[in-house]
Amino acid sequence: MSELPHLQELFDRLKRGYHLSPEDEPMFSAVAANHEAYAAYFAPLGLKLVRHPREFFYFDPETAESVPETLPRIAVFSFIFVDYAANAGRSIEDYLLNQHFLISKLPHFSLDRYAELLRQVEVEDAAGVRLVLKQMERLGWVKFVGEEEYRFLRPFHRVFDKCLELSAKGSSRDNETPTTGSGEKLPGSSAETE
Amino acid sequence: MIRDSGKADDELPETTWRRLRELQVLVPTEPGSDFYFLAEPVRRLLAYLLDEAKATTPEIIRGYIQSLEALGKELSRAIDTDDLTVVRLELEEIQQTLRRIYADLDETHHAIMAEVARYKTERQTVSVRDKFRRIVHWMERYVDPMVDIVRTDGPMRATFDETERLLNRAREDGLFNDLPALERNLRHLRLVQRHSLRVFQQCRKEIQPLYDSLRRLSFIAEGAAVALECLRREGPDGWSERHAIGAYSLRWLHVPADNAIERALRNIVEHPPEPAPVLIMSGEDAIPAAYLRRLWLEALPDEVRDALPVQDLLGWVVSRYPQKNTGDALAGFSRLVFHDEFSAKFTEGVSRNYETADGTLDARPVELASA
Repeated sequence: MSELPHLQELFDRLKRGYHLSPEDEPMFSAVAANHEAYAAYFAPLGLKLVRHPREFFYFDPETAESVPETLPRIAVFSFIFVDYAANAGRSIEDYLLNQHFLISKLPHFSLDRYAELLRQVEVEDAAGVRLVLKQMERLGWVKFVGEEEYRFLRPFHRVFDKCLELSAKGSSRDNETPTTGSGEKLPGSSAETE
Repeated sequence: MIRDSGKADDELPETTWRRLRELQVLVPTEPGSDFYFLAEPVRRLLAYLLDEAKATTPEIIRGYIQSLEALGKELSRAIDTDDLTVVRLELEEIQQTLRRIYADLDETHHAIMAEVARYKTERQTVSVRDKFRRIVHWMERYVDPMVDIVRTDGPMRATFDETERLLNRAREDGLFNDLPALERNLRHLRLVQRHSLRVFQQCRKEIQPLYDSLRRLSFIAEGAAVALECLRREGPDGWSERHAIGAYSLRWLHVPADNAIERALRNIVEHPPEPAPVLIMSGEDAIPAAYLRRLWLEALPDEVRDALPVQDLLGWVVSRYPQKNTGDALAGFSRLVFHDEFSAKFTEGVSRNYETADGTLDARPVELASA
């Protein structure tokens, strides 16, 4: 156990809700190669190190002691983006995960409906959206590639998982259980740069 | 339409219209009607020339199968009575029916391929959920019912097996001696059987990945829409518990260590003495800030009494007195928490930020009620 590398830095990040993805080398490779050992190390502390089917790692929020107030803002921001992509007929996952976006061209204030939803969680303007993105960066969901430009990282799949979970709960359609991208059943159940 | 598409040197539109009717390219929907259809043979020819395909419905294929069953019964009777004329007629009709099945299945295959290609190249904005609904329609209307019909234990196979048995019987037991015709029918029967199964396996292979992908996207879109609609309808209270995506956040709570206690005691013991306050007796000076602060603190219990019970005491203090700095806000908060007439309760609610005139406090709500 004591030979596990990057333990201190890893714990320091994960305890703040960070999601470890391939952007975080060499830590990511170390955890990916020896996930069971890391999970066993943290387990006695009551911390569950989750390996997502899309290959990224995070501490299971089920065991969290409190819900940071930034999360509702992140959720609303993300759901609006998903809604926008779906209404535009785009392939949601490809669109969100394989493109760079500019803060100044986000669709979040293109519709009054979206703006009103953001106001409900006290995001009033582009500066508020930038703050949300910075909070997402701290979770490892977003990476800025400049002052104005950013892209979503692999852990953004947790948003899609949440959507699938909500859809499963809210819909009796087909009596089917939506699955994650890897086929696992879920529990409980213009902005781009040219 | 004739006028719009005509050129200056073309014959008159009236002449074209008359010729179309005379040649029966256009036929009236009923005798004497002013409404006209494109004649079916012409429509088929145009569809063939333009490579347009129209999917055959499962009902049509079922009709063919029923037709084959009826023909089989007729054929059986003709074999029993050695009625060679009827046997020949039935064989020809079976042949015709098999050709139609083959052609219709082929057309359905082309129609489904064209639809899949259209999805992949479509540029107009169609929402993910509408796309999914359309592909579900194709799956449910054409592909799945057809697969049920043509699969190896389906009705088509049973009818074809029976027809094959009758053809063999005609060859072996009857007087009908046109063996090439019988062989032709048998070969055609097996060909249509293989073809139908292959066509719909291919259709399913083409359409299934698209269906799976759109189905997943549709569920994702629906989940996001459900969450946003819930927020719009019910507001943010309680929304985050059900809809926010969880992320771990560790808060440290320490028992003070011996070192910390020792340091705190030392700070008290070693605190440098302060000189006694000097009273300024001059009445000309402005009212001292400390005095005003004291008055404010003394008045606070009366202020809050009317608002009881208060769900979030610190929230009440900072919203009612936004000009107060952090020290004053906390002093007022403490005064009310420890006041004899009131009972304060520390809750396990969500931690939130409280803005004061000179900073931000992070705390969980404290409820205040009458003691």
